Amino acid sequence: MEEGGVNVIDLTQADESFIKELKELGAEELKECIQCGKCASTCPMALAGLEFFIKRIIHAANLGLRDILLEDSSVWGCQSCNRCVEVCPMDVVPYEVIQAVRRAAIKVESCPANTYEGLRNLYKFGHAVFPKGFEERRKKVGLPEKPPTALSNEELLKKYREVLRQTILEEIAPFPLD
Amino acid sequence: MAKIGVYVCHCGENIAGAVNVEEVMKYAETLPDVAVVRNYLFMCSDPGQDIIKQDIKEGKVDRVVVAACTPRTHEPIFRDALEAAGLNRYFLEMANIRDQDSWAHWHDKTGATEKAKRLIRSAVAKVRFAEPLEDRYGEMEKSVMVIGGGVAGMFAALDLANMGLKVYLVERQPSIGGMMIKLDKTFPTMDCSACILTPKMVEVAQHPNIELITYAEVDAVKGYVGNFDITVKKKARYIDWDKCTGCGVCTQICPSRVPNEYNYNMDQRRAAYIEFPQAVPKKAVIDRPNCLYFKSMEKTGKPACEICKKGIPPKGIQGCPADAIKFDDKDEYINLKVGAVIISTGYKVMDKTHFKEYSPHSKDVVTAMEFERIVSATGPTEGELKRPSDGTKPKTIAFISCVGSRDERYHTYCSKVCCMYMLKHARILKEKYPDIKLYLFFIDVRTAGKDFEEFYVYTRELGVKVIKGGRVSAVDVKPNGKLRVRAFDSDLCSPVELEADMVVLATAIEPPAGTEELGRLFAATCGREGFLREVHTKLYPVETAAKGVFLAGCVQGPKDIPESIAQSRAAASAAAALVIPGKIKFEAIISEVDREKCSSCGVCVPLCPYGAIRLEEYKGKDKAYIEPALCAGCGVCASACPSRAITFHGYTTEQIMAQLDALTEA
Ligand SMILES: Cc1cc2nc3c(=O)[nH]c(=O)nc-3n(C[C@H](O)[C@H](O)[C@H](O)COP(=O)(O)OP(=O)(O)OC[C@H]3O[C@@H](n4cnc5c(N)ncnc54)[C@H](O)[C@@H]3O)c2cc1C
Ligand code: SF4
Ligand code: SF4
Ligand code: SF4
Ligand code: SF4
Repeated sequence: MEEGGVNVIDLTQADESFIKELKELGAEELKECIQCGKCASTCPMALAGLEFFIKRIIHAANLGLRDILLEDSSVWGCQSCNRCVEVCPMDVVPYEVIQAVRRAAIKVESCPANTYEGLRNLYKFGHAVFPKGFEERRKKVGLPEKPPTALSNEELLKKYREVLRQTILEEIAPFPLD
Repeated sequence: MAKIGVYVCHCGENIAGAVNVEEVMKYAETLPDVAVVRNYLFMCSDPGQDIIKQDIKEGKVDRVVVAACTPRTHEPIFRDALEAAGLNRYFLEMANIRDQDSWAHWHDKTGATEKAKRLIRSAVAKVRFAEPLEDRYGEMEKSVMVIGGGVAGMFAALDLANMGLKVYLVERQPSIGGMMIKLDKTFPTMDCSACILTPKMVEVAQHPNIELITYAEVDAVKGYVGNFDITVKKKARYIDWDKCTGCGVCTQICPSRVPNEYNYNMDQRRAAYIEFPQAVPKKAVIDRPNCLYFKSMEKTGKPACEICKKGIPPKGIQGCPADAIKFDDKDEYINLKVGAVIISTGYKVMDKTHFKEYSPHSKDVVTAMEFERIVSATGPTEGELKRPSDGTKPKTIAFISCVGSRDERYHTYCSKVCCMYMLKHARILKEKYPDIKLYLFFIDVRTAGKDFEEFYVYTRELGVKVIKGGRVSAVDVKPNGKLRVRAFDSDLCSPVELEADMVVLATAIEPPAGTEELGRLFAATCGREGFLREVHTKLYPVETAAKGVFLAGCVQGPKDIPESIAQSRAAASAAAALVIPGKIKFEAIISEVDREKCSSCGVCVPLCPYGAIRLEEYKGKDKAYIEPALCAGCGVCASACPSRAITFHGYTTEQIMAQLDALTEA
C-alpha cells in the first residue's frame, strides 16, 4: 500500500501461490464462486456483523490476498453450521474454504490464542472444549467423576495422541507433543 | 341512406369491466342511419367477424363501426372481413373504447359509459361519409441493394442471392469483411474469426447473383419502395482492378509510408496498399493524399515518383507486373435500380482520447479493438503480446469495462458485447500465458446470451480476477512507467488499486460516421443515440420508417455476431417477401392534390416527412404533386394547405368535421 491511503487494498500484493495452497488444503472449488452472495445472506458470521464473512473471504482468497486474510481473525468465527454449503448454487463448498484458510493460518501461527488453547486441550484431553470443575456435582447426581469419553480412558487417549502425532500437528503445534 | 352496423366488443373484461355495454348499445340504436347494433365477447375472433359478415351478406348493413380496441393492430382484420363479405374495405370505422376509454377511466364506470357513447357517435358520423377507396399496385424491381459488407451485410446478400434475386453489395472500404475480420477469436465458441469468415467473403465475391461494389458509397437516392434509383460513387482506385492480380508488388516497393488505419495506426502501410492479407477482392488501391506522384504533381506539375508503375530499373526492381497502375483514374458514378435496400453499415468504436482520466497519452493504454489487433496473427506484432511502449511482454493487464457506455456524458446505452469480449480477451491470454495476471474491472458482468454464462464461469476458473462495482476512476502513469489503476471492489467493500503493465479500455460501440446522412438519403430515421431506428422494437425490428428500407447488424444498435447474423437474415427475408411477388401494394389512405385549387405556394413540399411531394408543371404553372407510392398517409400536408387543395382520402374534411361535431355535441 505504498501510495494509496490506509484503506486502499493493493491488488498488486496478490500472491497466486496462496490460491494454489488453499486448493491443496481442500478449497478445491474456490474459483467457481461468482460472488452471488447467497451464502452471505445466511452465514452467522455475516449476520453477526463480522467484517470478513464467507463471501468476502472467498473473494479475497481468489484475489490471492494472503496477508489480509491471515491477519484477520474472522475465519475463526465460522460456526461450522454448513448453511453456506447447502445454499451455494455453484457447489463451491464455502465451508471448505474456511477450513482451508484456517489450515493455512495455523501453518504460519496466525490464529487467535484461544485456538491454541483448544488445540492443546484436544491433544491433552481428547476434547477441544470440555466441562471442567463439575466433578463434585456429577458425583452428587450419581454420575462418574469424568464422562465416559477419552477423558476417563487413558488407554484410548494414548492411542488418540499417537494418531494426532501423525498429522500436521506434529509440525505446527506450538507446544511439546510428548 | 347508409345502413350502419355498430358492433360493440367486450374485449373480455377489458371493455365490459368499465363500460356498460347494454346501455351503450341502446344508445347506438338511436343514432342516425344505424340499422343494426350487436355485441360480442371478442369481436376480432372468427365468430365475432362472422357476425359482421353475416349482416353484410344479408344486406342489413353497408357501413360498419366496430367499437373495440385500437385500429393500429385490428383495423386490417376488420377491413379484411368487410372485403370478404363483398363490401369496400374502407367502409369501416373503429371507435377505440378500450385504450382511449375503459382502460383510461377504469374507476369511473359512468364516465366511461358516457365517453363510449360519444366515441361511437363520432365514428358513426364519420362512416356516413366514407367513400369507396381502392388499394393500388405498382411494379417492383426484383433486386436489392445491401449497403455495408460486414458480416451482417454479407449474410443478407447471400440469402437474397440464393433466393435468386439480384443483389448489389456496396462497401465503403476496398474489402468486405467489416469489423469481424479484424477480430482474433470470437466468443462464445472461440472460433478464429478469419477462418470462419474468409470462406464466406469468397462466396459473396463469387456468387453469380451478387455484384460486389467495394471502395464505393451511396451518393444519391431517387425513387421509392419498389423503384429505388440509386447513384453509387465508386472511388478512384488509381489501379486498374481489371488488371490488378493482387500480387502486392506495388505495396512492397512504394516508398511512401503512412499509419495503417486497419491496425489502428499501430504499424504502417504504403500509399499503394491492399487493405489486409485476406482482402476480398484482393486488389490494391493508391491512397492519393499520401502518394508522392500526386503530391508532386499538385506542387510542381512533375511526377516525383512512379515507382509502383515503372519500378527502379537501376536497382533491377520491377514495377507492377500487370501494368495496372492508372494515375488518371477517376471517381465513377453508376446508377442502379432496386426494389428494396438493406442498410448494414455496422459500427465504430470510441477513441481513447476522450478519457483523460485513463491516461490516453500512454501507449500502453489501448482500446479493446486495438487489443484485438495486437493479439491477431495479422496484426502489428503478428500476434505476439507486446507492451506497445517498450515491446516487453506484459505480466499484469487491467481491462476496464463500460468506457463511454452507461455514461450520461457519452452514451447512456450498454454496448452489449464488451463484457463478453473482455472475458474472451482474458481467456485468449490465459490459455496462451497461464501465468499472466489479468484483472477485469466491471460495473457488473453482463453475460446474457446463449452459452455466455458458462463462458464466464469457465474464464473465472482460469484464475482471471473479476472486480465488480469496479469502474475504474483513474489510470496514472507511474515514474517507473507502470500504470496505476484505481477502482472500488464492491465484493471486498474496499477501494483497491493495482499496478499494471498495460490497460485495455472497452470503449463504447458507436454508429459509424455518416449514419444520419445515409439514413436521410432514404428518409430512414435515427434514434437518440444515433443508430438507425427500427419501426417497432418488438414487431418490426428490421423495418425502418422508410418503406422498403431494412436494417441489419450494429447500425441498428450494438450486437454480437450471432445477433447480427440473425437480424441480417431476418432483414433478407423481409426484403425478399417484399420484392419477390413483383408487385407492390399501396394503401388507399393517401393524400391527393386538386391541381386546380393549388395556389403553388409549396408549403406542403418541405412538410412531408416522406419526401412524397414535389412541384411539377401543370398548365404552365408549378403545382404540387403527391407521389402515391411515397405517401404514407400521415395527413400533414392536407392540414397545412392554405388553399384546401389537398384531399386526404379516408379522412376528408367533410368526415373530420362530422366527427368533430359529433364529439363536441352536448
Ligand atoms: C473489441 C471487439 C470485440 C468483439 N468480439 C466479438 C466476438 O468475439 N464475438 C462476437 O460475436 N462479436 C464480437 N464483437 C462484435 C462484432 O464485431 C459485431 O457484432 C459485428 O462485427 C457486427 O457486424 P456488422 O456487419 O453489423 O458491422 P461491421 O462489421 O461494422 O460492418 C459494417 C460494414 O459496413 C461498411 N460501411 C460503413 N459505412 C458505410 C457506408 N456509408 N457505405 C458503405 N459501407 C459502409 C464498413 O466498412 C463495414 O465493412 C466485438 C466487438 C468489438 C468492438
Ligand atoms: S459454515 Fe461457517 S461460513 Fe458457512 S454459513 Fe456456517 S458459519 Fe458461515
Ligand atoms: S460461495 Fe457460493 S453462495 Fe457464496 S457467493 Fe460464492 S457462489 Fe455464491
Ligand atoms: S507513385 Fe510512388 S508514392 Fe504513389 S503509390 Fe506509386 S510508389 Fe507509392
Ligand atoms: S457490455 Fe458490459 S462492458 Fe459493455 S457497456 Fe455493457 S455492461 Fe459495460
